[in-house]
Amino acid sequence: MRVADTNQHYDLDPAIFGSFLDPLRKYSCGLYQAHDDTLETAQLRKLRFVADRLGLRGGERVLDVGCGWGSLVLFLARELGCSVVGVSPAPHQVAYVTGRAAQLGLAGRVQVQQGHFETVDLGRGGFDAVTMLGSIVHMPDLAGAYRKARVLVRRGGMLYVSESCFRNAALRERFSGESADIFVRDGIFGWGDMRPLSELVRAAEEAGLSMVSLDDLTDHYRRTISDWLANVRSHQETIDGTYPGMAARLVRYLETANAGWGYTTKHYALVCRAAR
Amino acid sequence: MSSHTHEEILATVTEIVAAELGVPAAELPPLRDLREVEGADSVKILRSVAKIERRYDIEMDDDDVFSLRCLDDAAAVIAKTLAQGRA
Repeated sequence: MRVADTNQHYDLDPAIFGSFLDPLRKYSCGLYQAHDDTLETAQLRKLRFVADRLGLRGGERVLDVGCGWGSLVLFLARELGCSVVGVSPAPHQVAYVTGRAAQLGLAGRVQVQQGHFETVDLGRGGFDAVTMLGSIVHMPDLAGAYRKARVLVRRGGMLYVSESCFRNAALRERFSGESADIFVRDGIFGWGDMRPLSELVRAAEEAGLSMVSLDDLTDHYRRTISDWLANVRSHQETIDGTYPGMAARLVRYLETANAGWGYTTKHYALVCRAAR
Repeated sequence: MSSHTHEEILATVTEIVAAELGVPAAELPPLRDLREVEGADSVKILRSVAKIERRYDIEMDDDDVFSLRCLDDAAAVIAKTLAQGRA
């Protein structure tokens, strides 16, 4: 299956995502500390976490692969004065992020390219950091994705990958054919492969990268999705008004994801450096 | 916590699983294969396991979690796990 098919979910009307994500529309795991943290607080903390893990101090050039609705791109440009290139295959996302950058007066520091990371021309590279939050899962050629990221990052630069993974190879073998997994993978996204962490580490090693840190974010993703589920349920009419039946499909997808955390799946953040 | 009898555990497990699958407890005799229950799927069964683990404050072996067939199995695994002091 071609990567192009992964557009189907992410290219839905952005208003759908505005109804259940946080105000920055960050469609990935948050980072919670207190029991009463809101989704918005957790997502903002996670953006700072990514910047911290990458050692960003301000003004760097960053590439965000699979930039979604631009939460990280706009955060790095606005809060840290970074020059950021975002990549997304979904036209709705590209238009949304470009528009937000202009509204925020960040057009000079934000550029968004539409296309698939594997084939899009990103010029000379030389990025201080490359980020991939939940995007490698949709790329069939894992080794190729890591190699391309390695080429695009400068010597000594950093790569941040956070991804949902089957807990091990045996569980992936057993559950990737289950109806619940097929529904999420094919029915919602079009294509995805939740490779075990060991495969991500191996691909990073083979691309010549050095491991810097590994964080287990599984419990944080469970709580993030619980917050999304509550929002989907309270905005069901709005969601179904745009796409009839979509709220129920979102609930099934999110409940499936949350049932598996810890048992069949994990969510990790893996940070590497392009250095010997 | 060795005071739990098999019958007590079975009653608790039946209540949790029936609520998760959305069926009356009477439809879940101890030896019925859960995958044959209408509306049951791996997601609902995993959610049941999570609730059971929270209720008893235990962590079952993976092999047991993924091979549960019926409520009687579940009760036996819980009793074994409690006896091993894995609470």
